[in-house]
Amino acid sequence: MTESDNTSFLYPFIESEETDATSLLADLAASARGKASESAALQRSSLDEYGEELIAAGTEMADRFRRGGRLYTFGNGGSSTDAATLASLFSRPARGRPVAAWSLAADEAVVTALGNDVGFELIFKRQIIAHARDRDVAIALSTSGNSEDLLTAITEAKQRGLLTIGFSGHDGGRMAVAEDLDFCFTVGSQSIHRIQESHAMLGYRLWSVAQDHMARPLNGAHAS
Amino acid sequence: MTITAKLGGSFVDADLSADLAAAALDLARRFHDGATLWVISPQWEPHAHHVAVEFVHPVIMGKRALPSVALVEPDPVAQARVASQPGDLLIAVASADEPAVVDAMRRAQAWGVLTLWIGSGPRPPAGAANHILWIDSDDPMIPATGTFVLMYHLLWELTHVCFEHPGLLKPASDECTDDVCVTCSDEGRLGEVLLEPADAMSSALVRTAKGEEWVDVTMLGDVAPNDLVLVHAGAAITRLESEVTR
Repeated sequence: MTESDNTSFLYPFIESEETDATSLLADLAASARGKASESAALQRSSLDEYGEELIAAGTEMADRFRRGGRLYTFGNGGSSTDAATLASLFSRPARGRPVAAWSLAADEAVVTALGNDVGFELIFKRQIIAHARDRDVAIALSTSGNSEDLLTAITEAKQRGLLTIGFSGHDGGRMAVAEDLDFCFTVGSQSIHRIQESHAMLGYRLWSVAQDHMARPLNGAHAS
Repeated sequence: MTITAKLGGSFVDADLSADLAAAALDLARRFHDGATLWVISPQWEPHAHHVAVEFVHPVIMGKRALPSVALVEPDPVAQARVASQPGDLLIAVASADEPAVVDAMRRAQAWGVLTLWIGSGPRPPAGAANHILWIDSDDPMIPATGTFVLMYHLLWELTHVCFEHPGLLKPASDECTDDVCVTCSDEGRLGEVLLEPADAMSSALVRTAKGEEWVDVTMLGDVAPNDLVLVHAGAAITRLESEVTR
């Protein structure tokens, strides 16, 4: 008899002998509610922490959109999909005014061409070089704040006069101290999932502020 | 006037958390049996990609990589039809009125695929999917506020908890497993026509949850590929009209 055979009578409901899912389902549901509460609390505190900066950044974005600027979003993995959702929010909102925006990870031909020919760390920077005008906006999303491909693109964007915005997580990583970022919104959590959920809410607030601002007449503007 | 979005976590009440738990256990059971997870989101493609990358490349080191693929071609029904096999999983992230998803969820029954439907706004009718994970809010901005992201993150997290309970990954004891089951043999099973009959005397090849079978379609007259039919005792007894204009 192995040791686990000897002691298994002590734990009749664990592992392979477990047959009734009732208590597991109750635990799972409780866990879901706990994580959901954490998610909401983190979204709340992130919005509160960056209230003023979000208004400043969203207003500056609106000014650039009014000058014909467009938005580029980028990230890796799950953050690339959140970047794409954010770009769609600006370009294809369920309400409000659409503006030009796209995710730099969206085109597999461009991403694989650059990754293969010049290196993965340049997949976004080279697109910034190709697309960017000084009135545009770049938003980089990273849960660590340390992704090389994002940081090189941000530096390039800043040099070209773009408004540069970073969404980071944990302690902010390199993005938190990057001089090339006009705004850095760091979500102070150790959970990649919870950070991404807050990134989405911060992005939504940026969009709300920009929409709000674009709906107002420009100060001193006259129809001529 | 800046509109404040409701925080995603505040929607996860007792009902939704129980729905997520039940869905996660079914996901884990099917993955345990070798399922592939297919994901569609015709209105919000990035959500389909996010679900797929979540399962394929977990953010927590050491968690199992699971087969999951986003289907984002212009016709997700056609793509899911050919990709899926009996025992697989299909997650849709979509509103209740998205025609391709309504169609895919219904046909999944004939494909033997277990369905999960994540969305917000008016609910799909009960039974439209095996698991309906819903945000009861009429705010059209929900899909961009991280609320759906929270939902599939929770689904992923709970699914991996289930893997720590191998005893519960076996099929539920009340599930039909043989041909003499009263429920199965007396009820019509949903089938999707693969091949029309070669002539008036021949059978049609029909796909059901059990696989492919030759079925007598003389009661229905003409049938065409992709028609949905009810199969009973080797014969197609009814054709289901498509509610979707395609």
